[in-house]
Amino acid sequence: MTDTIVRNVVCTFCGATCDDLEVTVENGKVRQVRSGCSTSLNKFLNYNRERHLTPLIRKNGEYEEATYEEAVRRSAEILAKARYPILYGWSSTSCEAIRVGVELTEWVGGVMDNTTTVCHGPTMLGVHDIGEVSSSLGEVRQRADLVIYWGSNPVHSHPHHVTRYTAMSKGRFHDGRKGRTLIVVDVRKTDTAKLADHFIQIAPNSDYELLCALRVAARGDELEQEEIAGVSAEKIEELADLMVSCEFGVIFFGVGLTMSLGRHRNIDAALSLVRDLNSRTKFLIMPMRGWYNVDGADQVLAWTTGYPYAVDLSHGYPRYNPGDTTVIDILQRGDCDAALVVASDPISNFPLETAKRLAQIPVITIDPHPSATSIVSEIAFPSTIVGIETGGVIYRMDGVALMLKPVVPPPPGIRSDVEVLSDILAQVKKLKGS
Amino acid sequence: MTEIVLRIKRALQIPVEAGEITPEILCTKRVEEIRRIKIWEGNRQVDLAEVFEVMMENSDRSDKTTIRIIGDASKVRKIGYRMSSGSIIVDGNVGMYLGEEMSGGSIEVTGDAGRWLGMKMKGGSIEIKGNATDYIGAGYRGTTLGMNGGSIHIHGNAGNEVGCFMRNGTIKIEGNAGLFPGIHMSGGIILIQQNCEGRAGAQMKGGKVIIGGNIPSIAPGFVFEEIADKAKFGEEKLLGPFYVFSGDTNEEGKGKLSVSSAMNPELKWYEKYQGA
Amino acid sequence: MNELIVKNGIVFDPLNGIDGEALDICIKDGKVVESVASSAEVIDASGMIVMPGGVDIHSHIAGSKVNAGRILRPEDHVKDVESHTPITRAGTGHSIPSTFTTGYRYAKLGYTTVFEPATPLLKTRHTHEELDDTPIVDKGCFPLFGNDWHTMEYLKQDRIEECAAYIAWMLRATKGYAVKIVNPGGVEAWRWGRSLIGLEDPVPNFDITPRQILRGLCKANQLLNLPHTIHVHTNDLAQIGNYETTIKTMEAVRDLANDTKPVIHVTHVQFTGRTGSAWHNVGSGAPEIADYVNKHGHVTVDLGQIIFMDTTTMTADGGFQYMLYQLTKNKWMNADVEVETGAGVVPYTYRRSNYVNAIQWGIGLELALLIRDPWRVFMTTDHPNGGDFTKYPKIISWLMSKKARERSMKKINKTAKRKLDLPGLDREYSFSEIAIVTRAGTAKALGLDQKGHLGVGADADLAVYNIDPRKIDSSNDYIKVRRALKKAAFTIKDGKTVVKDGEIVATPLGRTFWVNSTMSDSITHDVESDLRKTFDDYYTVQMDNYAMDDRELARSHRIDIKARV
Repeated sequence: MTDTIVRNVVCTFCGATCDDLEVTVENGKVRQVRSGCSTSLNKFLNYNRERHLTPLIRKNGEYEEATYEEAVRRSAEILAKARYPILYGWSSTSCEAIRVGVELTEWVGGVMDNTTTVCHGPTMLGVHDIGEVSSSLGEVRQRADLVIYWGSNPVHSHPHHVTRYTAMSKGRFHDGRKGRTLIVVDVRKTDTAKLADHFIQIAPNSDYELLCALRVAARGDELEQEEIAGVSAEKIEELADLMVSCEFGVIFFGVGLTMSLGRHRNIDAALSLVRDLNSRTKFLIMPMRGWYNVDGADQVLAWTTGYPYAVDLSHGYPRYNPGDTTVIDILQRGDCDAALVVASDPISNFPLETAKRLAQIPVITIDPHPSATSIVSEIAFPSTIVGIETGGVIYRMDGVALMLKPVVPPPPGIRSDVEVLSDILAQVKKLKGS
Repeated sequence: MTEIVLRIKRALQIPVEAGEITPEILCTKRVEEIRRIKIWEGNRQVDLAEVFEVMMENSDRSDKTTIRIIGDASKVRKIGYRMSSGSIIVDGNVGMYLGEEMSGGSIEVTGDAGRWLGMKMKGGSIEIKGNATDYIGAGYRGTTLGMNGGSIHIHGNAGNEVGCFMRNGTIKIEGNAGLFPGIHMSGGIILIQQNCEGRAGAQMKGGKVIIGGNIPSIAPGFVFEEIADKAKFGEEKLLGPFYVFSGDTNEEGKGKLSVSSAMNPELKWYEKYQGA
Repeated sequence: MNELIVKNGIVFDPLNGIDGEALDICIKDGKVVESVASSAEVIDASGMIVMPGGVDIHSHIAGSKVNAGRILRPEDHVKDVESHTPITRAGTGHSIPSTFTTGYRYAKLGYTTVFEPATPLLKTRHTHEELDDTPIVDKGCFPLFGNDWHTMEYLKQDRIEECAAYIAWMLRATKGYAVKIVNPGGVEAWRWGRSLIGLEDPVPNFDITPRQILRGLCKANQLLNLPHTIHVHTNDLAQIGNYETTIKTMEAVRDLANDTKPVIHVTHVQFTGRTGSAWHNVGSGAPEIADYVNKHGHVTVDLGQIIFMDTTTMTADGGFQYMLYQLTKNKWMNADVEVETGAGVVPYTYRRSNYVNAIQWGIGLELALLIRDPWRVFMTTDHPNGGDFTKYPKIISWLMSKKARERSMKKINKTAKRKLDLPGLDREYSFSEIAIVTRAGTAKALGLDQKGHLGVGADADLAVYNIDPRKIDSSNDYIKVRRALKKAAFTIKDGKTVVKDGEIVATPLGRTFWVNSTMSDSITHDVESDLRKTFDDYYTVQMDNYAMDDRELARSHRIDIKARV
């Protein structure tokens, strides 16, 4: 069989979702990937390692292979019976699957939450109070003469971000690195900081103070303190000056800001600073979304329920209050009695106590690969890999929707997330007497 | 006076929501009716009697109604929702949203309370003998409408964002508080008698925050005003001296932040701005 | 089979000259037919009004800025919820309803077709995803042009045909229905944080004026033979006195009209219908605008009527939204889109006691009452900018009843009331005129031949309202009218009953209308090569990933048109 080259493939790793990958396929397998970063190469070349190929059900403490129909039936029973189930994950699957997930959550009267809850949830909370002055990524590439990464290390987290979209990209009004100033604010000198024109080393957990100080300095007022957040007042004033006198500035921020002391109030302060700066110049702010479809998960939840994550449908209508309806808090309080996890591994990345709680309730997993979560599950469904074996719509970190196309066929008999979820939903509807 | 006793029958796992547990709703009902009030337990509606044993005692002919809740009610939310008179006593811990939107009457808890205590409160009083956690007197996400009246008194410690978007009323924390007390507040007074984790009065537009203990630093939007020998919390006069700051200038705020000078030697350098 | 007869209703079908006659409407296989078998299902509409289903020409219901608004405002939804039922999905409402709620609420009002009027080309896939989750109503969307680099570059060089071919390509790629223009040139300026004033300011770096953009797009639209005219949100929305810009915009393309058909639709004219130089002396420019519209048949408009309520403003006019933030200090979302356009969202409350809001309220109604031809002025609130669409019955009662207007006017700012002409206007709309400004006229303006009427061959989209025009006086009994229009007795979609007594009984998915205008192969080919050269320079998305396949739409309804070139 000859090679086929599939062009313009969308990468399904990080939120930058580069869409210019060239994938060489031979005999139904991926052989080569061009234009992607090393992480995407890793994902595309190794996607078929360690797949589980049949549904598994835990019986008498042991995992047994089961028929798909039995797994669907059992899953529907568990979810339909549950009094407060959580349905989690979603950021690494297609919007088509997420849409079925919302309907399923409605029918089972549970809480639907996605990885925003452990990542940019604070951003959402900040946005609810302040709003957000932002744009699509191309605006930065075309116009920005000042790019700031705050608490974000794209060289590692979003490897092509800087070259495709920001300081090293080629735009109509700025040719690559020339004429652009790159600033990094971080607690240590990261690899991205090494590329920067200015690196501001900030004392850990003092981002809020630095952001407030920048607001004061950007207004032209004097700072009373000589040093704030480990940065001298003079340096803060210099930084504020760079911001105010640029033509088009942008701050990209990551978990360094969302997860350090202050969390959503750090974001509140950053959003407020950028908003203030718009009275002097053009300034934008953008969260560095981690997963390739976490933005999609937020968008789907928002248009179907009104709220972007942590949506509680247990009373029949959407309710939302992070700190109450977020799965980490629900697990911490031990409120939930069943869980469905789609394309995610919370047992591995949730705080230990909440992971333990999750392991104590019946869990249903839908995932292409075995994981710490699938190992403690009652039922584990194999599924196809979105972006490689299955298509669907996803949303880039700036809200641009892209269509994924399958590149290779899935292993025989494996169904997509959409199919598994739809079958479970149909069974739940039967059980609820629809 | 009528006393209605609700005793929790069993250990609760799934969250229970019982906004109907208010003096004005229960006082119009007989015991049998109270038992049949529908409340939520997770995604099902159940009779109140499934969760609580209900007893009623009429001790005199007055109209006053007291509800006494006995047991661990930490999974029970929204008790006292929109109440305007009467009293609720919780002998134990209580869950989230206690006294949400209350406008009168009193609530007393012997144990701890959950998040969003007194959310959007307009009047009345809440007293917690134990600890309360985050978002005391806050508004709902996305609004600027926090607590607008009434008083909240916590004997123990409080969490983050005490009085978030507060507009009026008083909040007294006898113990320690977390981060951001008074964040975005525009009126009212908050007193933290012991230590505060930081960022007091952040982004305030008005109102007063008083810190009696230690706070690591003052948010950069605040400007040193003076050293005052007292601070007023309603009728109470607290003995200082206090460093007094105004702010948050980042919000064109005219709020007042008073911080104990004795407990904050690291802030002594502000004194150079005295008389400036 | 699928035969239905709606018997004995009082039918208002202005497109076919039917003005309150008792008639039967026969339906078969989703279309209006001459007659049906005696075994057909019967809906007894005796004593009730029957109209074609409502056609909303301009309502922000789907897409990235709408969703940005939802995310911005959790507090908007908490007050207004819809519970899950075995046949309807859960949702939330108030000013930015979730998608399922949007479809149900429109259907309950007797509306069966709605257009999302502003979607960025790059983000229209998102718009369609949301429209696919909007049940019952047929829908479409208007992609945004006029601040996009390709349009400005083609028009600067006066390459109208290439510009037209580019628009055709974009409408195909985005499955769009019409050419929407918002603040032409001004949004590119806003993407630098600047603004333009009037129609003659050149766009920074592009050296083309809003006037040139308007004229060029109008010509391109004509070349493409698109079913709808250019749909324009004028420049100067952020200016205090701006009615002159509205008139200048209409005048700018007058010479391009070569027959009696309109060549421009100016949307939510209320928002750009102000006189004055400062907020305290704002007045109504409605008389001047109405005078112009009355004298010039090349223009259609829609109102953008405001309602006194807490609502959310959202437009592609990013600069205007920033101005509104500065005025109100409310929270503010901004979302510029590379190469193409912008967006902004700011919550806003219209208050009776507020002088400017009272004037704005007056402007919308004055426009409706002073413009004589109901076929050229349509009722909208620019949902949710002026207020949410569930308030339409209230506006209808204001149009039909001077008494209703007077009652509402009692509580408005007194200085504003003295300044407005509205108190002295006696005109009252008839049911027939209401049918025109909410369905017949809008369908006609959109070029939807099978909508907005009940002649044989029309789509069987009907609204039946439980009110007998022969027994009530719409001027005095305006509350009855309002109530009846709020909850249709029956809403029928493609011959299927979807609403009964104001409740949803079925939730079929409507179709998405989009336009495929084909030009000569050579021009199409040339433009596509132009795009291949510029795409990588301009966009961060590959050209091959940009265009939507029509299989992406759940129910695609393509309208094929042959362009003039």
